[in-house]
Amino acid sequence: MHTRRHFLQSTGAIIALPALESLGFRRFASAATVTPPKRLIFLSFGWGTTESTWYPDIKKPGPDYELPKGLAPLARHKADFSVVQGLWNKYSNEGHWGSTMWLTGANRYAQAGQSFSNGVSADQVAAERLGMDTRFSSLHFNGTEGDMGQSGHGPGLSLAWDMRGKPVPGLNGPLAAYHRLFAKDNTPLEQQRALLAEKRSVLDAVLDNAKTLQRGLSTADNAKVAEYFQSIRDIETRLSKDEQWIGVPHPDAPLPEPKPGIAGRGEIALMYDIMIAAMQTDSTRVFTYRQPVWSLLTSLDIKVFPHDMSHYHTTLGEKLDASQRRDVAQSELLAGFLDKLKGTREADGSRLFDNIALAYGSNIRTGHELSNCPTILTGGAAGLKLGHSIVAPKDTPLCNAWLTLLHGVGVNVERHGDSSGVLKEISA
Amino acid sequence: MSIQKPFLILLIALALAPLWVAIAVVAESPRVAMPDKHRALLKEHCVSCHGPEKQKGKFRVDDLPFSLADIETSEKWQKVLNQMNSGEMPPEEEKQPTNSAKTDFLDDLSNVMVAARKALADRNGAITIRRLNRREYSNSLRELLGVEINVTELPADTGNGAFDTMGANLFMSGNQLEQYLALGREALDEAFAWQAAMGLERKIRVEAEDEASQKVRKKYQDDLDALERAKKWVAAVAAAMASPENAEVVAKLRKDAKSEDAVRREWKKIKGAPAPEDFGFVTKQNTADLAHYALQFGTAAGKGYTRAYREAYLGMSDVERGGYLTVGGGLEMLLHDHITLAVPFEWEMVSGDYIFRVRLAATDKATPERKFIEFGVAPQHTESPFLSTHQVTGTMKNPQIIEIPITLTRHHAERANRTLFVREKGIRDHYTQAQSKLGTAKARNGIGPDFAIWVDWMELERLPDSRKGKATAIAALGIPLDDEAAPGAADVREALGRFCMKAFRGAMPEPGYLDKLTRLYASRMEAGDKHSAALKRTLAVALSSPQFLYLAEPVEDNERRPLSAVELATRLSYFLLGAPPDATLLALSARGELTKPEVLAGQTKRLLDDPRSRGFTRPFVHQWLGLERLDFFEFNRKLFPRFDASTKLAAREEIFATFEHILRENASVRDFLKADYAIINGVLAEYYGIAGVEGDAFQKVALPKNSARGGLLGMAAVMAMGGNGEHTSPVERGAWVLRKLLNDPPPPAPANVPQITRLAGKVLTTRERLTAHQEDAQCASCHRKIDPIGFGLENFDAVGQWRTQDTYQVMDETGKPVKGASTTWQIDAGATLHKGPAFENYFQLRDRIEEKSGAFSKGLSEALIEYALGRPIGFRDAPLVAAMVERAGQKHLALREFIHALVESKEFQTK
Repeated sequence: MHTRRHFLQSTGAIIALPALESLGFRRFASAATVTPPKRLIFLSFGWGTTESTWYPDIKKPGPDYELPKGLAPLARHKADFSVVQGLWNKYSNEGHWGSTMWLTGANRYAQAGQSFSNGVSADQVAAERLGMDTRFSSLHFNGTEGDMGQSGHGPGLSLAWDMRGKPVPGLNGPLAAYHRLFAKDNTPLEQQRALLAEKRSVLDAVLDNAKTLQRGLSTADNAKVAEYFQSIRDIETRLSKDEQWIGVPHPDAPLPEPKPGIAGRGEIALMYDIMIAAMQTDSTRVFTYRQPVWSLLTSLDIKVFPHDMSHYHTTLGEKLDASQRRDVAQSELLAGFLDKLKGTREADGSRLFDNIALAYGSNIRTGHELSNCPTILTGGAAGLKLGHSIVAPKDTPLCNAWLTLLHGVGVNVERHGDSSGVLKEISA
Repeated sequence: MSIQKPFLILLIALALAPLWVAIAVVAESPRVAMPDKHRALLKEHCVSCHGPEKQKGKFRVDDLPFSLADIETSEKWQKVLNQMNSGEMPPEEEKQPTNSAKTDFLDDLSNVMVAARKALADRNGAITIRRLNRREYSNSLRELLGVEINVTELPADTGNGAFDTMGANLFMSGNQLEQYLALGREALDEAFAWQAAMGLERKIRVEAEDEASQKVRKKYQDDLDALERAKKWVAAVAAAMASPENAEVVAKLRKDAKSEDAVRREWKKIKGAPAPEDFGFVTKQNTADLAHYALQFGTAAGKGYTRAYREAYLGMSDVERGGYLTVGGGLEMLLHDHITLAVPFEWEMVSGDYIFRVRLAATDKATPERKFIEFGVAPQHTESPFLSTHQVTGTMKNPQIIEIPITLTRHHAERANRTLFVREKGIRDHYTQAQSKLGTAKARNGIGPDFAIWVDWMELERLPDSRKGKATAIAALGIPLDDEAAPGAADVREALGRFCMKAFRGAMPEPGYLDKLTRLYASRMEAGDKHSAALKRTLAVALSSPQFLYLAEPVEDNERRPLSAVELATRLSYFLLGAPPDATLLALSARGELTKPEVLAGQTKRLLDDPRSRGFTRPFVHQWLGLERLDFFEFNRKLFPRFDASTKLAAREEIFATFEHILRENASVRDFLKADYAIINGVLAEYYGIAGVEGDAFQKVALPKNSARGGLLGMAAVMAMGGNGEHTSPVERGAWVLRKLLNDPPPPAPANVPQITRLAGKVLTTRERLTAHQEDAQCASCHRKIDPIGFGLENFDAVGQWRTQDTYQVMDETGKPVKGASTTWQIDAGATLHKGPAFENYFQLRDRIEEKSGAFSKGLSEALIEYALGRPIGFRDAPLVAAMVERAGQKHLALREFIHALVESKEFQTK
């Protein structure tokens, strides 16, 4: 294994330096390098945005565009992100699914004999390549609310769908994320090895049983039970990884354990901090996050039901206001995240921001509208043209943007989803 | 859409032939086609740009097949639908089709798309292998281990618009597999704890005067004492201030300070003024503040607000031999708005079934809506949920004892979960609720809410051996579960085998698999585990194994075949109990008798009569009628104070209870559409204003002739779902009626239809606003069907209460009402159904809907088929649906007939 350990430092005093040892530095010191890894982040927010106050003027693209009200909190970062218009997933037809096909561009009816199918999501394509050297190939976060239908995300267990188009489960909320990343395992090494061995024997036993079950199943049933076999393989892969990482303690958490019960606005801010921490400790290089909208509204003391809010058009008034306040709150949170990405230094002195590619948006524009999906791209890793309001030709595949990001972080796949090429408008 | 003749003939042939033969013969799908009449629209408005010559966007419609026989053609039509819905085609500058032609075109096309998707997804009736869904998994553990655990960390298996029995949607992942292992261990821990506690006798009683009255008295006296001390201190400071040597200082202090309190805060500057500490006010902050706070108990403001209420409490007649429930609102009113009983720490082993008893009475001040209590666990949470609501019928002369069964687990021994409580209904859903009740009462009598409920005592008693022998897999183990003596490897292996037989619903585990389990047990023992711990860890693996998690029905060479007896038992049991087959079913299937029609019918009846059939009625009704919407939003407590959490719970329960009543009595499903009775309890009777109903049990109550209640439409929960907690939504209601009652579901809300914004902020009635839907073809194509039904239900407000007028108030962007921008109108519920008759009011609409009991029966049959078989309904199911409706029709559409017809069908009995 050619794991590279990285050492990040903070420009401010806010972020504590993790001890060398706890990063497993000694073990991998010979392989240490100063080139920071590239990372990919996808953030989605369900119910879309307020059309009239979130999008820059579509007629005036370029660097000198005026930041609309909904994006105003991002003003200090204006030179460092681009808003892209004109993108969509042409097969999307579900007005309540803000995330299900966002990263896949798939057609739910693509498979004859199925009323739902999905494809692989861009993050999983990236994880194949970027996930080899880290403890977690990729990490997927959801709001604490778990089932995120009320937040407009649509079916799925996270933003991620695996190579076979099956949902990849995510971690619900900051506490779960924190524990997965930083839970201390004080078990002696010998015992950890024994535990791994036991887990293997457990898998061995259930695999045996799965083979018994499989005997005589119809072709279709066999295809379904294949999920169980795949689950065993997935755990095995994880165990192999665990084995390689045995003796490398989970890193010291650069932030305290979150208190339970933090919801909405505070929760999203916390999740951003946890992502920074995960990058500092190089725990993974691929992130997705389905942000809570329902609890965000509650935390802003907005009483309007989220789906109702997204249909502000007929009544305006307090629904429109809720929608706009949601936009502002989300932009403030994103701006805070960008502050921290810029404020955290890598071993070579570059900023975390310089080594990430980040997409922020939703499959839903507003209401049930699925064209011109709200899209913000940022980060220095993928060679993007930043600081622009970019208008792609109408109905350009969203997957072109994903392909651009993939190429940008060194994952040179030929196509993704329904992509027709890279998004040349944003390539610097 | 049209179905061609040859296919119809085929359908009839199908109905007569045994299915597995027919399926081999029939492979052709029904022809889903766009009606020919729409060719004109395409020709006139589309072909000039999308024809052989121009082919704009590389898209041609002239050669677009009108029969949607493959995915490719469907995608093209979807594109046409999308473009027209979004208003992009035909382009603005081109000649537009007439509104009515466009409306009809979109209406047909959107329905054709739904039909085509269905036909293309049709799998010839094949049922995908099912994993136990979340609730079936939980029920299965209950049957095997005798315990119920919290499984909410598993995916819910719902939320994709289909029943949670649909095998194709039941996924598995590595993560989930690990959750099964963890949950299996948790369930086994609980089961072993249960076994260890078996036979224990436990009982505790607390007197309410100790729990409540004495605490109130102590707090009252403490405050009174503090008040006296504070007064003395104030007097002493005043004396010092009056001294001439302080005149200058005091004058200066008075000049800067806003109040005398603020002057006294500076007591250190006043010579001779005593320290508040000397009067018992000790704090780390300014001690004067504490004294001033104590002073409030002597005034009407601030804390003094609580004094009169406490005095009223302590002045109540039976305060010495009991306690009163109060309305506290989280304020420092009375310490408690609930009376508690804590599970004693000394009990240690807590797992078991218990009876909680409370002896109580309604006081003569209790109004009917206040004669209810809520019972629950962990009252310390500010907005704590409760488990049940109970009506108080006892009087001070003749108190009653309410008995509430409750199951306690290991987790109830933990500090956070060990407190049981009773409180008045509707005071703790939200802190504002109690505050408004306090405020209203205070404004009326200057004191606070009357004391409505008096509690004598509360008691908790364990039922020893309540589930003895019911945990089938535990019983099958047949080896010691404690650590007194560890059995030998051979004994363990046999025990594991017996356990697996139960877990795998009678299937024998393979010897190789048993060897591996036995080795796992041995390696745990070698690692230092005690016997019970090693055993639990091993059994958890069995409960994560596919033979437990999946309902397998193997075949040969993909051939369809009749189910084996045990497979039939399994399918039947998971259908009607949501749980594995019990001993009777397994015995009957082992003897080969279950496949006999009369035996199968007898077992179907037995399961429907079993209380465990809640494992069918609850999840089925919940998903069939889409009840999850009831939890989608908060109800506005200010607008609807009476629709509190207890009432909402009862309203939801009414739907289940009505279904269960109709099932139990084998009554007609017409009763869902209209009935001269309602199945309600005391809470709902009070909410509906129906006199003479008492108690917590849902009971059949005859309704007067002109009652709006009776049938689903008259139920508060159904109407509440058709709104947003504040306003009604005629669209939601209309669509729900079309989907659930009339079996005529509107196509899913299309994407990219331009929103109507021009009416925003205008002062319009609901009906005026919705009329805009009729102007645009994209909207009208669906809303002409939906909206009229919604109008007919406008007499029900957003919480299902009857009303005769409604108001619309324009809100500004801060959510505040805009002055003068409001209108109030008398509700006119009359409208005309699309292509149907007119109705003048709700009652006539209900009659029109009742007349469609045929369509309703069809919809119900389809739902039952999908739920029971775990696959989407297909066009080949038409004969089965017809057969179910036909058979039920012979018995006035009796509910059980649908189920019997389904169970007896080839489809149900075929893999």
